[in-house]
Amino acid sequence: MSNHETLFIQHFSEESRPLEYYLKKMGGYTASKKAFGMSQDDVIGEVKKSNLRGRGGAGFPTGMKWGFIPKQSAKPKYLVCNADESEPGTFKDRDIMRYIPHLLIEGMVIGGYAIGSHQGYIYIRGEYTREAKLLEQAIDEAYQNGYLGKNIQGSGFDFDLTVHRGAGAYICGEETALLNSLEGKRGEPRVKPPFPAQAGAFGGPTIVNNVETLASVPFIVNQGGEWFSKLGKLEKSGGTRLFGVSGHVKKPGLYELPAGGVTLRQLIFDHCGGILGDKKLKAVIPGGSSAPVLTADEIDVVFDIEPLMKIGTMLGSAGVVVVSEDYCVVKLLTRITKFYAHESCGQCTPCREGCQWMEDILERIEHGQGREQDLAMLLDIANNINGRTLCALGDAAAGPVMSFVKKFRADFEAHIRGGKCPNA
Amino acid sequence: MPKCIIDGREIEFTPGETIIQVAERSGIKIPYFCWHPGLSVVAQCRMCAVEVEKMPKLQTACSTAATDGMVVNTKSARTQQNQKSVMEFLLINHPLDCPICDKSGECDLQDNSFGYGDAYSRYTEERRTYVDLDMGPVIKKNMNRCIHCTRCIRFGEEVAGIHEMVALKRGNNTEISTIDGRPLETDYAGNYADICPTGSLTVKDFRFKKRVWYLKKTPTVCEGCSKGCNMEIHQDNNEIYRCVPRENVKINKYWLCDEGRFNFQYIHDTSRSVDPSINKNGVWESTDWGSSIDAAKNALVGKKVTVLVGSDLTQEEAQLLQEFLPKHLPAAEVYHFGTPGVLSAQDDAPADRILKRKSKTANLHGLEKLGFKPFEKLSAGTQSVLVVRGGKAHLPELKNVEMVGIGVFLKDHAQHFSVILPGAAFAEKSGTVVNFEGQEQKFKRAILPPGQCKPLSEILMMWMNRKTASGAA
Repeated sequence: MSNHETLFIQHFSEESRPLEYYLKKMGGYTASKKAFGMSQDDVIGEVKKSNLRGRGGAGFPTGMKWGFIPKQSAKPKYLVCNADESEPGTFKDRDIMRYIPHLLIEGMVIGGYAIGSHQGYIYIRGEYTREAKLLEQAIDEAYQNGYLGKNIQGSGFDFDLTVHRGAGAYICGEETALLNSLEGKRGEPRVKPPFPAQAGAFGGPTIVNNVETLASVPFIVNQGGEWFSKLGKLEKSGGTRLFGVSGHVKKPGLYELPAGGVTLRQLIFDHCGGILGDKKLKAVIPGGSSAPVLTADEIDVVFDIEPLMKIGTMLGSAGVVVVSEDYCVVKLLTRITKFYAHESCGQCTPCREGCQWMEDILERIEHGQGREQDLAMLLDIANNINGRTLCALGDAAAGPVMSFVKKFRADFEAHIRGGKCPNA
Repeated sequence: MPKCIIDGREIEFTPGETIIQVAERSGIKIPYFCWHPGLSVVAQCRMCAVEVEKMPKLQTACSTAATDGMVVNTKSARTQQNQKSVMEFLLINHPLDCPICDKSGECDLQDNSFGYGDAYSRYTEERRTYVDLDMGPVIKKNMNRCIHCTRCIRFGEEVAGIHEMVALKRGNNTEISTIDGRPLETDYAGNYADICPTGSLTVKDFRFKKRVWYLKKTPTVCEGCSKGCNMEIHQDNNEIYRCVPRENVKINKYWLCDEGRFNFQYIHDTSRSVDPSINKNGVWESTDWGSSIDAAKNALVGKKVTVLVGSDLTQEEAQLLQEFLPKHLPAAEVYHFGTPGVLSAQDDAPADRILKRKSKTANLHGLEKLGFKPFEKLSAGTQSVLVVRGGKAHLPELKNVEMVGIGVFLKDHAQHFSVILPGAAFAEKSGTVVNFEGQEQKFKRAILPPGQCKPLSEILMMWMNRKTASGAA
């Protein structure tokens, strides 16, 4: 851990969970109290100033998103926390929820106040059974102590919060599929427009924010947007970020660092101790498995949204998967593609048909039954999926295929020509 | 009015219209599968994606609203490449069993494949297959042919008002099915087959009976109730194979109920009286027209007669009777009849929330407009009754009177009659009917009447020209 003060990680322990800890050690529920003394516009203004960008994957400026909510609405407005953390390689929201659930609750109360919503939902990944239970306990605590419910902290503001458990579909992390699922419908992305800010949950204006995003809000309100913005090292990217590093590194785990404060090389070699067994680095998936892969030569890049976008990949959910030289990238891509084929909702033709097709071809290549024309065909199929589906799942499936095949073509060709994995 | 430019043509549009709507009504063909003018927009087949200037990605024409100054290219290289790609994706798992598929010849998948696809397939993996459950008496499912457009699911929810078609599983394994594999419940099930863009849902009654390109299509109006739904009769060699809805946004939109769809079947019923015939002590005897008309006159002329005019007759037929009856049966009481419990137009009301109405004849409102009064019961002393009907008006049970029928009668109907003069069913004549809203609709003859059946005008003409033994006309 570097020497800067962390917002989250220093509190990641079992002791931080109770309300008492949150009140005493983290200045709990002082931010919501402060927010109630501000106008809604001022709260949104502070979040805009903070340069807080969505931590779920898209990196959309949170303050701007909140600003899209109409002031007047005939239907109730909703604030929904996307806690469906399912992108392979991502495991940051889970720790926020299990160690400092009140931070998320307070963030939601402030968010609800800012957009004029009186009902919040935490849509939590189905597999997170323990976290769902812990969240509910924390919510009960908050209700009992007047931090949720009617007339919160004497402010006159009412906000109810409900935990809704998903049923295990990755696609329900896509915000409109999440809203469908929340409404009890099949978890499938919706046609946009209308965007959730116009017509989201139950037809009401809705904001969907990631756990880490909402958990950053109390800090912003308490210490100011400018302070938060300056925690980040790039102009348009404020705060600290949680990076989940997994794979072949010596010290895998969660790291909290200033946004844009390190290069990918620094993260892997300085913070995570380098590659397991001091082997060579083969590949890095920088932002959850849907992010196009990087080679060992491409890691001197500042690890944040824009710099990664410039080199054709993305920060995504900042789940870093590190691959050492002795791991088969064909096997890895096959597994990733199998995941997306399995998780495709099946609405859009290219994604429904194409992901399975790519998986079938990759399975053949991995098992030595590839053909010379397969690689060109894979790229073509991926290209026919990319950018041509309702939601980003198609892109998420296509990106890895295109990047792996282009950057590690020799490995694929070795499988095809040799009739088996050269490492096997 | 705002304007957009599609393929170089400047077209005015109403705000809210999507690109596909503007293109459709301007004669610019954009291929699609999941879009349907009567259903919600889901933009999931991706076939209608077009190039829109200033937008980096292709935009689905079905879900993109036209905006002022928008420049759309439906024929660009990227658009065409996408269409080719979507066709490839849709066909990799499609069985291509067109030679034995009933949809062949009127199949969107087939047409668009021909128009926008590639004759060559690169796919060499194993095809996806499903096992189908029975879906009840109306629809046969073949899931292997399905392209997952979800039109059927949306039709059930949005039009038929019943959530019975669903998508099971997900992704490449998505299966379109009924809930728990139950048979379909809606009495609008035929529409599932109409809107299916492939041969995945077909009408059991029509299966394997006719290749669709042999069918001749005649626009007509359904005679099943007073709604006046527009439909088409499809026939070949004077035999009706099916009826399908015909678009009329003001009346039935794109839909037809099963009752109306399958109503035509009585026309070809083998027990239909197709010869002029006389009932001799319970035994029907086919005769020539002259003898039957003589027998009819014997039963009616000079008696205390009631004439029951079916509200399944056309305006033209009813007006003909209005001229004929005062001259040839001057003392007769004349009433209209049609549906038990729906005596007059006032009793006619919606029978469900979709299309059906209570009056089970098409022209109740027209007959009342012409001044016909509803039939309640025979007045005392009535000796004979003349019933004139098409194939729909429900015959009242009458006792102790002699009955003569002109029109369409099955053997079961005819048992209480003494003479039948066989007439034409709705598909066998042209005419006008007036629906519940007073909308006059004309329809055309689709087939010729069977046997010796004749239009009412000819039967009445024969009556007038027939000199009886006594010389009375």
